[in-house]
Amino acid sequence: MKRSPQLQFVVDRMGPGGVCREGFLGSDPRPLEEILDADNSTVAGMNRTHAQIAERLQTVMDVAIAAQGRGVSVGPHLEAGWHEAMGRIPSPWPGEGTFSKGEMELTDARTGRTVRVTPLAVHLIAAHGFYQGRGSRYRLEPDELAAMLGL
Amino acid sequence: MTELWVILISAGLVLGISAAFAALLLVAERYLANYGQCVIDVNRGSRRLEVRGGETLLSTLMGRQIFIPSACGGKGTCAYCKVKVLEGAGTVAPTEQPLLTAEDVANNVRISCQVKVRNDMAIEIPGNLLNVKQYTGAVERIRDLTHDIKELRIKLTDPPTIEFVPGQYVQLMAPAYKGSPEAVYRAYSIASPPHDAGYVELIIRRVPGGTCTTWVFEHLAEGDEVSFNGPYGEFRLSGTDAEMVWIAGGSGMAPFWSIVRHMKQAQIARKCTYFFGAVRKGDLFFTDELRQLDRELDWFTFVPALSAPAESDQWDGATGLITEVVGKGVSDAAAKEGYLCGSGGMIDAAVKTLKGKGMPEEKIYYDKFT
Ligand SMILES: Cc1cc2nc3c(=O)[nH]c(=O)nc-3n(C[C@H](O)[C@H](O)[C@H](O)COP(=O)(O)OP(=O)(O)OC[C@H]3O[C@@H](n4cnc5c(N)ncnc54)[C@H](O)[C@@H]3O)c2cc1C
Repeated sequence: MKRSPQLQFVVDRMGPGGVCREGFLGSDPRPLEEILDADNSTVAGMNRTHAQIAERLQTVMDVAIAAQGRGVSVGPHLEAGWHEAMGRIPSPWPGEGTFSKGEMELTDARTGRTVRVTPLAVHLIAAHGFYQGRGSRYRLEPDELAAMLGL
Repeated sequence: MTELWVILISAGLVLGISAAFAALLLVAERYLANYGQCVIDVNRGSRRLEVRGGETLLSTLMGRQIFIPSACGGKGTCAYCKVKVLEGAGTVAPTEQPLLTAEDVANNVRISCQVKVRNDMAIEIPGNLLNVKQYTGAVERIRDLTHDIKELRIKLTDPPTIEFVPGQYVQLMAPAYKGSPEAVYRAYSIASPPHDAGYVELIIRRVPGGTCTTWVFEHLAEGDEVSFNGPYGEFRLSGTDAEMVWIAGGSGMAPFWSIVRHMKQAQIARKCTYFFGAVRKGDLFFTDELRQLDRELDWFTFVPALSAPAESDQWDGATGLITEVVGKGVSDAAAKEGYLCGSGGMIDAAVKTLKGKGMPEEKIYYDKFT
């Protein structure tokens, strides 16, 4: 199906250097629409919504930010650390404002697995169900993430 | 089968011709469209610029040494380069709409990197932007202040000196480098005092995966030429002599390192307590220098605090989140002024703490966008 000029604009901004150095799509060969569809199916298959995942992530991130760089426990087996940064970054989707830079490292003590989450990444999940392309520094696998968050 | 080939070839031809036509239009717009001489009136007659039309307002102004802050290099993503255009900008472009609020539109505010100069225009910009200049310099020294914070000392070459108010920032250009296809500009507070006018010092914290900080940490070397423009920003000491509470963490040290050395040199003896927060001892820097100033200057008190000192840190100073330490260390703040520099999370928490101590919100100063 032909992509709308609006979505093409977003895809262009998602490339390396568009909004941020590495971009949002990583090395994922799939077009944006396919990435969104696949993650949507995964989340629906778990009987969850993107809003639920984003809300839980936001709660966890608020605790990590409030700890101002100190590691903090954010649930059973879950440790979070906030790497603060000054400045703000815009969403690749137009009209959505800017988000604080910086990233949270979330580690599941049971598996040792660590993911990185940013304020913009949480917004992208909530607003678009976008978990980024595979190979992106901030790619989140929805099923693994949900399990990590106890959803 | 032959029919399918004919269809495919025709479709290919149509696509190819459309693409070539679109490219031709772009080239024609870029090189052939002649908008002739245009006049830009700045601040109702304060400056009159005769320029060649065809470029964006942002780059046209830059060509005439008027620098509007922009972090994305004119790509229409950061929305920093807003300018009030009173006349001659035409209708708001689709690329601007998402970046403008309804209030901006009502006030004729436009995204200057998305507005083309096609005819005479009248614009209004903050007067202090007329003092912003483009600078080049050579990196004289890069030193590690902590494991993720570096100090750059830049010797200015053209122009050879800079004038600024302590607290202001510059926009450093990170050129295109491997993995970052285009040049970007990022804001950094000036850490050196204004009397050291031949130099600019910056304190830069690494942001993992960040565009500009990766360049600073992995590519920039002593002796390299750098360029930046500035000074920008309203963060500075007020004109009162109210007692001050300064709160910072990480690279938020930069403006205070400039201000305190300026105050000492200019003999501004205004009472002030500087709370500086870090996680562990290794995250602190300039501690000896600031303690020395604390001893020397009877108006200055320095309170470094660690939120999670390790046993090996052998720390006997203040502990806790910096906002908790401020909470304990400041009693009635109603008549004091607060100055903050750090990440958004730290600023939110500090504002809450100071308001809780009775400080009026309008007496709490910090840079927006941090
Ligand atoms: C007025 C002002 C003064 C400042 N002063 C200083 C100073 O003195 N010292 C200092 O160190 N800094 C300062 N800053 C911050 C500085 O301007 C930069 O913002 C900072 O250095 C990071 O720049 P960067 O290009 O390395 O990171 P960028 O590449 O611009 O941003 C990286 C961040 O973007 C987000 N991000 C990137 N990619 C993605 C993705 N795919 N998905 C989701 N999120 C993503 C993450 O949150 C990441 O942390 C100041 C900022 C302002 C506004």
